[in-house]
Amino acid sequence: MVKLTEEMRTALKVPGKGGSLVYLATSSLNGKPNIAAMRYVDTCKDDKILISDMFLLKTKMNLKENPNAIIAICHPLAAGAGRWWAFKGKAIDIEYGFSPNFDWFGVTAKEILDGWGDWHAKEPPEEVPPDIVYPVAAQRGVVVLHVEEIYSLKAGETGNRIM
Amino acid sequence: MTTILTSRMENWIEACGCHLCVASPDGVPVVTMGRYAKVSGNEVFFGLSADEAGLIRTQLTENPWVAFGVSQVGGVRAAYQFKGKGHLITSGPIFDSYAKEANEVLGGSLHAILAVKLDEVYCTKPGHVAGTRMDTAPISMEKFEEELGWKDLAPPRRT
Repeated sequence: MVKLTEEMRTALKVPGKGGSLVYLATSSLNGKPNIAAMRYVDTCKDDKILISDMFLLKTKMNLKENPNAIIAICHPLAAGAGRWWAFKGKAIDIEYGFSPNFDWFGVTAKEILDGWGDWHAKEPPEEVPPDIVYPVAAQRGVVVLHVEEIYSLKAGETGNRIM
Repeated sequence: MTTILTSRMENWIEACGCHLCVASPDGVPVVTMGRYAKVSGNEVFFGLSADEAGLIRTQLTENPWVAFGVSQVGGVRAAYQFKGKGHLITSGPIFDSYAKEANEVLGGSLHAILAVKLDEVYCTKPGHVAGTRMDTAPISMEKFEEELGWKDLAPPRRT
């Protein structure tokens, strides 16, 4: 069983709070991959990583048919020894309308949507330059990745299993 | 369809490298880093060390699709996603033509060149344009970039 370290939890926050930009990778069921950078990220419990569903399109479609996903960080210049991890597991997009009791590997839809369902208000994109920030927040849910494995993305150690 | 990248895309890809994603035929994704990248025509060539190439070798032999996005500050300022079909090259003239430059970036650890022939380009900027396919849009990709106000044709130089 995976337990995210404090170093990982620090990295898995919005950039304005010291976190690193993360990349969410998914795939269609027939193997067409998809990857995009994400700002809104946080952790929950020992082994969950959360991403805002604000403007997801292909990612959302992929997760509707295939829960396999990876959240990757490669931030060599981060304080300390750098951040080089790929978090692999099963993800779901918990959208408004889910039963509050819906359970995803030990976390309920109510816990997720109560905590992160209005992420724009919780952590507004103050550090994002005005020419990049979205005009209107349009959150539809929260992607929850249940982490089952963590491997390294550090040069020379890529693919080595950390947990 | 031949997809030729804009100068801006080329500059950002080559300056920042990319996060690369492949998948098994049944949809299990794998991510590795492409720290050295060079654009030529409708292909992008990534220099990979043995560990970086080894992680994706099996998937690529079964399923050639590769998706990638620009790394570092490019994840914010160069919000693109590129998709195409790729294969690994470990010797021959293509490998040799990129070996010197790639080894400089990889500290002498070049093992393989991942060559990706591009098929699709998407905009991933948050907002109404997120997910828009740029290479089939009714306007050129240069015009698309212009309308988004993307004037930074390359990342800022490090001082």
